[in-house]
Amino acid sequence: MHLQLQNLLPVYFDESRKQTSEIWGKDLRFENGEYIKIVAPSGSGKTSLMHFLYGVRKDYSGSICYDATNIHDLSVEDLAVSRKDKVSIVFQDLRLFAEQTVFENLEIKRQLNPYHPPGKIKEMTERLGIGSKINSKCKTCSYGEQQRVAIIRSLLQPFDFLLLDEPFSHLDNNNSQRAMQLMLEEAKSRNAAIIFADLERIDYFPFTKIFHL
Amino acid sequence: MAISFKPIKPLLQTGTNSASRWLSYIGLGIGVLLLLCSIQMYINIQSLLGKDAVRKNGFDFISITKTVTNETMGQVGKNSFQQNEIDELKSKSFVTDVAPLVSNRFRVQLSGGESIPFRTDFVLESIDNDFLDTLPPNFSWQPGQSSVPLIISSDYLEVFNLFAPTQGYTQISPQSASVVRAIISISGKGQQGNFIGSIAAFSDRINSVLVPKTFLDWANERFAEEPFVGYSRLYIKTKDANNPDLISFLDQKHYKVNKEKVKFGRTKQTLQGIFSGLGLFGLLVVIMALMLFSFYLQLVIARSKESLQLLLLLGYSPNWLGKNVSNRFVPVYVLIVLSALAVTQILQWCFHHFVMYDRPELETVVNWIVIAVAVVLILLSIFTNYRLVKKMLHKLY
Repeated sequence: MHLQLQNLLPVYFDESRKQTSEIWGKDLRFENGEYIKIVAPSGSGKTSLMHFLYGVRKDYSGSICYDATNIHDLSVEDLAVSRKDKVSIVFQDLRLFAEQTVFENLEIKRQLNPYHPPGKIKEMTERLGIGSKINSKCKTCSYGEQQRVAIIRSLLQPFDFLLLDEPFSHLDNNNSQRAMQLMLEEAKSRNAAIIFADLERIDYFPFTKIFHL
Repeated sequence: MAISFKPIKPLLQTGTNSASRWLSYIGLGIGVLLLLCSIQMYINIQSLLGKDAVRKNGFDFISITKTVTNETMGQVGKNSFQQNEIDELKSKSFVTDVAPLVSNRFRVQLSGGESIPFRTDFVLESIDNDFLDTLPPNFSWQPGQSSVPLIISSDYLEVFNLFAPTQGYTQISPQSASVVRAIISISGKGQQGNFIGSIAAFSDRINSVLVPKTFLDWANERFAEEPFVGYSRLYIKTKDANNPDLISFLDQKHYKVNKEKVKFGRTKQTLQGIFSGLGLFGLLVVIMALMLFSFYLQLVIARSKESLQLLLLLGYSPNWLGKNVSNRFVPVYVLIVLSALAVTQILQWCFHHFVMYDRPELETVVNWIVIAVAVVLILLSIFTNYRLVKKMLHKLY
């Protein structure tokens, strides 16, 4: 599977952004297995880009195509299939069910298209150091713990592209590296691409391409 | 593996404000009960009052005339039926057939001959044999035949036997009446003919003196001096003389009809009107309850908006979610409608047993139409809910 961006620009951005950005207004193609790092300072449209790629927002010009399919033309049902089978995401604002437990949050995603057995949830939470929180409601977890729940949730489905929007903003270096390692293993097992957008370069992400937004 | 709705269920905020939900449940129950009971009573009335008229081979025969008013008095044409009016009647689905009662348009006199010295002016009529309740084998006439069979109303014999003793006459039985011979003298267009009339049968249905149609047609053609202006009386053959549509049509046309024969029809018309109104009211209550429930559903979805939006964001299909969210209420709907059906069944049993004393025209079990309506109501409520939820979820996208 490949992802193609053509002349992409948020409608609320000035055309001049195309001159300074390596993403906006450019024709780009990303393939399975690639690790893409997008370095983006605040206000450069990092979250917008991730939302565009995941099909949450459509307020852009240009086109985003997964293989030959323009994401703009997908029906709501097709978009649901894409999110279930092909494209996974870690949102910057996490988007967890606050009243549900860690396990319930993860199981809701896992059962949608089970790539892993239920036992994998416990294994992953323990690996990222939140095993003891598995039965706690998410609203009682710290932001860092919630961030790890969101990361695990993104890994419980099949995907060709994994979109990461500042996934380590509230994690220390040690926890970030452990989470990165898990994500790399999971992406490798699926031969998937990772598109990792963050404020700055992160040394432990072995990117194959780097872009400045 | 099928996706389970179990982990999704707690995300729907249905807990608070259950008053509106219970109100809609109760409203739906009352509405459905009213509707089902009205349909059942409507069917009961059909069964009870649909079989009360005099029948021949499963048909009712009723005679109609035009009402003579001050305006139409003396205008024979206006008080008679024309062919287009007969055709209009025939075209109605509730009328099987129509036949006019044809009258003589020449002078007829009846005399007793030498044995009974009397002579009187008389009227003869004829009608299609199919409309006769008693049809003796000899009730026919060919040109050249000197005897003419007659069918007279049994009422005439009854009236004769009533006043005969006071007038010094001997009462006569139907059998002896049939051996009496009378001379029918007809005249017109300067010609005259004499025939021997004999009573072939008595009719309970037609209040007249009838001769074979072939005789009257022949005689009218030969002796008639008056032009044909229409038929004064028609007979309607129908499957149900009490059909409210038939009665409404006759009323609307101001046709005069034997009230005794259609009295059940008028009662039926009134009762059906009442139960139609009640059924309509029930339907309105059902619609209002469904609307109230749809508001409740909208409230649930609005309150669970964030969770539902997140589920869609995670890749849950709006169709799947819509189906499962609306299916949550299916057992309640089914229970409400089945309860209403059960109460209808109990009421029908009580009505049949205690009010109608197990009359054979009625069934103890509710009619299949009532069950079909209950099923349709369940399907309708499921379908409308599913559509509503699906539409709202698509809006959340």
